[in-house]
Amino acid sequence: MARYRLGIDVGGTFTDIVALNEENGEILNIKISSTPEDPAKAVVEAFHEFLMERGGWEVSRVIHATTVATNALLGQLGLELPRTALIATRGFRDVLEIGRQRRHKLYDLFIQRPRPLIPRNLRFEVDERIGPRGEIIEPLNEDQVKRLGEKLKKENIKSVAVALLFSYINQKHERRIEKILKKLLPRIYISISSDIAPEYREYERTSTAVVNAILMPIVSSYLIKLQRRMRGLGVRAPLCVMQSDGGIALKDVVSKRPISMVESGPAAGVIASAFYGSFLGLGRILSFDMGGTTAKAGAVIEGKPEIVSEYEVAGEVHSGRIVKGSGYPVRYPFIDLAECSAGGGTIAWVDEGKALQVGPISAGATPGPACYGKGGRHPTVTDANLVLGRLNPNYLLGGEMKIYPELSEKAILNEICQKIRLELTEAANGIIKITNSAMSKILRIVSVERGHDPRDFVLICFGGAGPMHGCALAEELNIKKIIVPPNPGLFSAHGLLMTDFKTTLIRAVMKLMDEINVEKIEDVFQKLEFKCARILEKQNISKNDMYFIREMDLRYFGQSYELTVPASKPFTEDNVNQTVESFHEKHMKIYGYAVREEPVELVNVRINGIGFVEKPRFIEKHVNEEKPSSDAIVEKRKVFFEKIDDYIETPVYKREKLKPGNLIEGPAVIEQYDTTTVVYPGWMATVDKFENLVISMKGGAY
Amino acid sequence: MEIDPITVEVIKGALIYAAEEMGIVLRNSAYSPNIKERMDFSCTIFDERRRLAAQAEHIPVHLGSMQLAVQKGLERFKGELEDGDMIILNDPYISGTHLPDITLICPIFYKDEIIAYSANKAHHSDVGGKAPGSMAGDATEIYQEGIIIPPVKFIKNNVIDDEIASIIMSNIRTPEIRMGDLRAQMAANIIGKRRVLEIIEKYGLEIFRKAVEEIMKYSERRMKMEIGKMPVGSWEAEDYLENTGVVDERVKIKVKLTIKKDHLIIDYYGTDKQVNGPVNAVLGVTLSGVYYVLRSMTDPNIPMNDGCYRPVRVIVPEGTVMNPIPPAPVAGGNVETSQRNVDVLLRAFAQVLPDRVCAACQGTMNNVAVGGINPENGRPWTFYETIAGGYGGRKGMDGVDAIHSHMTNTMNTPIEAIEAIYPIRFLKYELREDSGGPGKWRGGVGLERSWMLLSPSATLSILAERTIIPPWGLFNGKPGATGEYYIIKQNGEKIKLSSKCTVKIEKGDIFVVRTPGGGGYGDPLERSPELVHRDVLNGLVSIEAAEKEYGVVVNPEKIEIDWKSTLQLRLKKVQV
Repeated sequence: MARYRLGIDVGGTFTDIVALNEENGEILNIKISSTPEDPAKAVVEAFHEFLMERGGWEVSRVIHATTVATNALLGQLGLELPRTALIATRGFRDVLEIGRQRRHKLYDLFIQRPRPLIPRNLRFEVDERIGPRGEIIEPLNEDQVKRLGEKLKKENIKSVAVALLFSYINQKHERRIEKILKKLLPRIYISISSDIAPEYREYERTSTAVVNAILMPIVSSYLIKLQRRMRGLGVRAPLCVMQSDGGIALKDVVSKRPISMVESGPAAGVIASAFYGSFLGLGRILSFDMGGTTAKAGAVIEGKPEIVSEYEVAGEVHSGRIVKGSGYPVRYPFIDLAECSAGGGTIAWVDEGKALQVGPISAGATPGPACYGKGGRHPTVTDANLVLGRLNPNYLLGGEMKIYPELSEKAILNEICQKIRLELTEAANGIIKITNSAMSKILRIVSVERGHDPRDFVLICFGGAGPMHGCALAEELNIKKIIVPPNPGLFSAHGLLMTDFKTTLIRAVMKLMDEINVEKIEDVFQKLEFKCARILEKQNISKNDMYFIREMDLRYFGQSYELTVPASKPFTEDNVNQTVESFHEKHMKIYGYAVREEPVELVNVRINGIGFVEKPRFIEKHVNEEKPSSDAIVEKRKVFFEKIDDYIETPVYKREKLKPGNLIEGPAVIEQYDTTTVVYPGWMATVDKFENLVISMKGGAY
Repeated sequence: MEIDPITVEVIKGALIYAAEEMGIVLRNSAYSPNIKERMDFSCTIFDERRRLAAQAEHIPVHLGSMQLAVQKGLERFKGELEDGDMIILNDPYISGTHLPDITLICPIFYKDEIIAYSANKAHHSDVGGKAPGSMAGDATEIYQEGIIIPPVKFIKNNVIDDEIASIIMSNIRTPEIRMGDLRAQMAANIIGKRRVLEIIEKYGLEIFRKAVEEIMKYSERRMKMEIGKMPVGSWEAEDYLENTGVVDERVKIKVKLTIKKDHLIIDYYGTDKQVNGPVNAVLGVTLSGVYYVLRSMTDPNIPMNDGCYRPVRVIVPEGTVMNPIPPAPVAGGNVETSQRNVDVLLRAFAQVLPDRVCAACQGTMNNVAVGGINPENGRPWTFYETIAGGYGGRKGMDGVDAIHSHMTNTMNTPIEAIEAIYPIRFLKYELREDSGGPGKWRGGVGLERSWMLLSPSATLSILAERTIIPPWGLFNGKPGATGEYYIIKQNGEKIKLSSKCTVKIEKGDIFVVRTPGGGGYGDPLERSPELVHRDVLNGLVSIEAAEKEYGVVVNPEKIEIDWKSTLQLRLKKVQV
């Protein structure tokens, strides 16, 4: 009987299932259309299809990536927000609405703040006050809390967020409120800020607790429903969810802390890149994922994705970065990603000033690019690629979908060439150049802007459209090596199969490093570690598979943003100087200077508890001769390359027919089911023993 | 040589990104919070003829001043600049804002010839002068506001000139931090230079020059098209500053807006003479207000460069409060007069494009500075902040509650961060009931922020506006509430403070700020009773005000609309 580990990635257009046969390492894939109105439906359908096809199976674990949390906050129909209340310190219920007092667009006189997630009449205050050293200035008025409980009952509140000033230092009042309310309202969901985000900055902590409170009922009912339906198909395996920090956790853990999964999907792609990179022995990787509507970039250094500590859910993206103040801040570790509106379906247009623009509007799945023949009249990036000969002119998806190149030409001629004087080819190439320039920017954001030189990185391209643009991006950033994995369209879903369990716990300290009591700090570390271990144990992880990473967030006293450095175990007097020194060094590296005479403040200590998951073994294939077999070339067609400034006869290979060891000189096109890879002139591709395409610059360093 | 539109587009993107990347480098390597978090700086690329080629979206008040700094600041260096030089200056009468804004300009050489400049300006938290923070509310001459740096070669052959540095550093309060921030500014210019040279190496100098020309023409074309959609004619508007900080008299700002087929003329004739308080706004600040309003009234996505300026003529008589001559003090012109300037301009545009403007926003930045000696460690402390208020109502949309508007957009400091360091304890930070100007579309409410002093004594300074003349409404919308500042002594005595003052406070005193609300838009009697009811439920409009201002009767027990009485009351009010 085969044992499978299943990864399910629900995207806007497709739901992907990948199954790892844990006995022989074989990976199987299924792709079906998503059902946004009821995401679980597509998941169950895909399951059904997968399981019915083969007898004698057993599922060991299901790992799920979903956008249900973000969609709910974006106001998607069918995902109405539950009635939620906030309890704050007397005088401060409006912190949630005032936020950081900034507007997210400078020149828009019709600016609007994102709607506060809890209206003012459901934001309540209680008499209590804790001071900056955790001292109780005014005790909690418990009678008020009890009366408030009655009121919440009457108001039919489903979920409550509690966020009091300075609760990150002293939890007492928040805990007490939680206890009183639980007794009065046993069925209500409660999220207290000192549990969810025990860090200073009242607005961000309140916002995190509120987002968590709102998502709790939505996420738990979604996951319960999904698990019930899975059981109906006979799958009794535990259900795990991908978290934004690049680790997985069991359904029950995530249900209590749903903020951990708001960026579940995009994280999987970077994790897959990280795993591939480590496996292939690559130190620095840029992960590049281009799908139908967006392109996403992330950086991985020595096997570790870059992590940021805050994210704005449902925020707007402007030139790659999330616009501060446009969404709802959540303090939780997130894999650092930059994003832009550049996908196969992104529309090209001419603006009033006669400049060619690409995006941000996308043709989506319907009508889709003009060449789909579903009524789309606007030219898209896919149409431009088609006109330039990079895509198969007859069909896509391995023959499942017929396409019409003449419609692409017509769309570009009508919408672009008639408005600005350009030939068809010039216009198509222009669309590609502008798209590439936007995408090279997001790669710069995650590398250059973080103090890394992109030339030191290897580019991993995936997503349906990524491998078509890899060479151009590499040329733009002087990257010398590109990797296209065997199934680029399902690469993100593969990431789900390779992810470890992860639980992160944090505690605010706010003391100068010169003045800390090291025994106390060690004690905090041990307590957090113990708590972490318990959470991992509950997820059936054995002690042998657990390990813990200690970290400290430090800053120069007076600064407002911290840098994270590793801390030793145990943490003793001897380690203080070395930790401070590693902070100075990191500051130097990222910001270009260090001030060794300045006092350094310890803001937070953190434990990352990891539960190791057995990784799939890649099957090493026999290496063949360099020359691909004669049936690997399916045709020759004219493909446009800018360097040559013309169309040239280019061989088109079928990826399935290529064998490890084969070597292909650019220019070349390599087609497979849902992806086309374009090898530019001056580059060459080899198939490695794991069936990756490794594309390097001819005469390059590699 | 012809240049294709695609190359222009790609070079345009690369230039804007170069300016943005300068900003990232500056922010990451700067030391002071003003630059790091509040992002009070601007980064730009200029072409060889010193015309703005690209500007990153940083802060509106620098919009018009960078070109003055680069054009006027380099006048005396004709032919004297060499590769590796950078020019420093902060003279507001040249570089166009106020002394704390220090500008650094870097010529970019390619084959022995200047082909572009990278330049940036950043707000330093102290440049000397009579008050810490260099923002004295009662200065009568610019010499009291800090050190004046004329354009000089601060960096020669990539090395900072120690002699000039030592003169500057001897005149300011926190020299180490200043040097750190200046180094960050230098690093930003170097990145700008490197990126421009990369573009030239890739495309060649000729293509680069042509592309820059086209980029400017593109913005000019778009700007002209936007102006072409506006009605042609002339409109006037005026508004007042409530006092000068030194003398208790109003200061008038007047503007005449003329819209022609493809250009605009903005004339400040009729504006009051310059004053001997710090509310004079130098030309650069005045121009920034004009460009801010223009960007808001057109498509803000039009890339900011010299082309945007071309269809606009601005006439500002010399010696007025909007274009003073030395040695008038100017520190507050940048923060307070700049806001009033926008009010006047929007008031003029409101007559032409009523659907595109907002009623007056709070019209001040509410600058509050407090400091003293910390009894715990004997060290001096100062805390400075600007506080949000109401945004004006717009057609179809209420004004935003408690947010920064127009020429500023800086973040607040978390209360948990302030209390951890400074001897003050916050008591309240909340929306201010009934402060939004009544209107069919209500003005945003201001906020109330109050704290208690915990140390024995401290000095409190306020630089603000709109405590006497309220933010105006539009089209029968009512004005927003005026701002209020007061101290409550421990015995309960309430002392009202003026909008520009410096006072001593003592332990246990409670300082209360109530910021202005935005003006309303349209007749409040036309506001839907459901919206009034929602505001009552949310505690933003009182039951009394609902009745008095909106003619909506709300039952005080059930908090429900009394429809019958509402109808009667509204009828009666309409007849009156």
